[in-house]
Amino acid sequence: MTNPSDYKYVRSHEWLCYVDDDRVRVGITDFAQQAMGDLVFVNLPIVGDMTTAGEPLCDVESVKSVEDIFAPVSGEVTAINEELMDHPELINAAPYDAWIAEISHITDTEELLDAAAYEAVCAEEE
Amino acid sequence: MITDLYYCEATGLLPYRNQALEEYLLRRVQPGELILYLWQNQRTVVIGRNQNSWQECRVELLQQDQGYLARRLSGGGAVFHDLGNLNFTFITTDADYHLPQQLAVIINALAAIGIKAVKSGRNDLLIADRKFSGNAFYKSGANRYHHGTIMVDVDMTDLGRYLQPSADKLAAKGVNSVRSRVANLAEFVPEITVEQLKKLLFHSLGDTYGLPVQEFLLPADAGQKLALLTERYANWQWIYGRQADFDIQLAHRFSWGEISLNLQIEQGTIANAVIYSDAMDGEFIASLAPFLSGCRYDTAAMIDSLQQAVINNRQQAVIIDELSTWLQKRG
Repeated sequence: MTNPSDYKYVRSHEWLCYVDDDRVRVGITDFAQQAMGDLVFVNLPIVGDMTTAGEPLCDVESVKSVEDIFAPVSGEVTAINEELMDHPELINAAPYDAWIAEISHITDTEELLDAAAYEAVCAEEE
Repeated sequence: MITDLYYCEATGLLPYRNQALEEYLLRRVQPGELILYLWQNQRTVVIGRNQNSWQECRVELLQQDQGYLARRLSGGGAVFHDLGNLNFTFITTDADYHLPQQLAVIINALAAIGIKAVKSGRNDLLIADRKFSGNAFYKSGANRYHHGTIMVDVDMTDLGRYLQPSADKLAAKGVNSVRSRVANLAEFVPEITVEQLKKLLFHSLGDTYGLPVQEFLLPADAGQKLALLTERYANWQWIYGRQADFDIQLAHRFSWGEISLNLQIEQGTIANAVIYSDAMDGEFIASLAPFLSGCRYDTAAMIDSLQQAVINNRQQAVIIDELSTWLQKRG
């Protein structure tokens, strides 16, 4: 699967996509979902949660393990993808459509990579 | 590559403190290090990260027996700990994490006393097709741990009582436990003790990795961090509050009629309550619902709220009394 070129990426394997200047949608990359295996539960954040760039946003449980998902930006959670409550497998099936949370009022951002730079990070880890 | 092996034993039996030390070790482990942490909890049910506390554990019964309910960072199902159980955690970085070798530490330790243990599926260790060790996994950034139980001489009656599914109808999202046929090591080696198992694991760690084992010494500044983490694990919000919303139906037949409490729980609090009853004084019973809305989903809090109801006659007082006693005993 190719990583969309209009998305940005962080080293901890989350993607983000700008909805407008001050609002992003966040999810996990194809590389991350493959490493995790089949997801059984997404422990979504709550609307109103404050996030800190580089700190845990929420967690997902796969058949292998629980893993923290990190917030790529500091801000406030203004929407969550509730469909994932019943269908965590959407992340495995379409990681770049299955957004987890929308974060707005952004005050800080992790180092963002474009698709090519992110693919280089993945190649190093493999 | 692992260059430094450490061994660390918990000093107390309080689950929240022991979980705190486990997380403390996870956050500070360095590349090249592997820590084996051994710990025991007194009378505790530990549920997986994404489990419903009320679905997996007889909370009331456990509290009445002065037991603890704990939620862990890793996934999977509910387990029961007492002093007949030994917990282990392998803490290392992503690059040095190697599950087969970690499990070999346990399998080799048991082989030294003539027990043949085998891995089954992703999460279990078995002897003669019966599970004595359940394993679970957590990863945060570059660090991860693999932990599990080893049943040495666990009280099976307690285990069955606390993990027994409740009769209440509960609809919750999350991860459900899978029942297994379990066994204590003592069934195979009657003279085995937890102390002996600790020594076996210590030696097996060094032998399996072919490195000397160093004792892990807590830095002087660990106390404050441990206190904060302990508070977090003991916190109502962590154990009961921050879990997926769920609906529960509590039903009971009293001498004055049958009652069904239908509760919608959001963030551990009763967001909406509806009460159905075929009792003579149905109006009074229905009027109790608003007292439960907004109250924590917790027996003591619910009883307190019911006591606020305005009572007009002796029968109504009996109803409140009997409802309170039932909620208390529901266990």
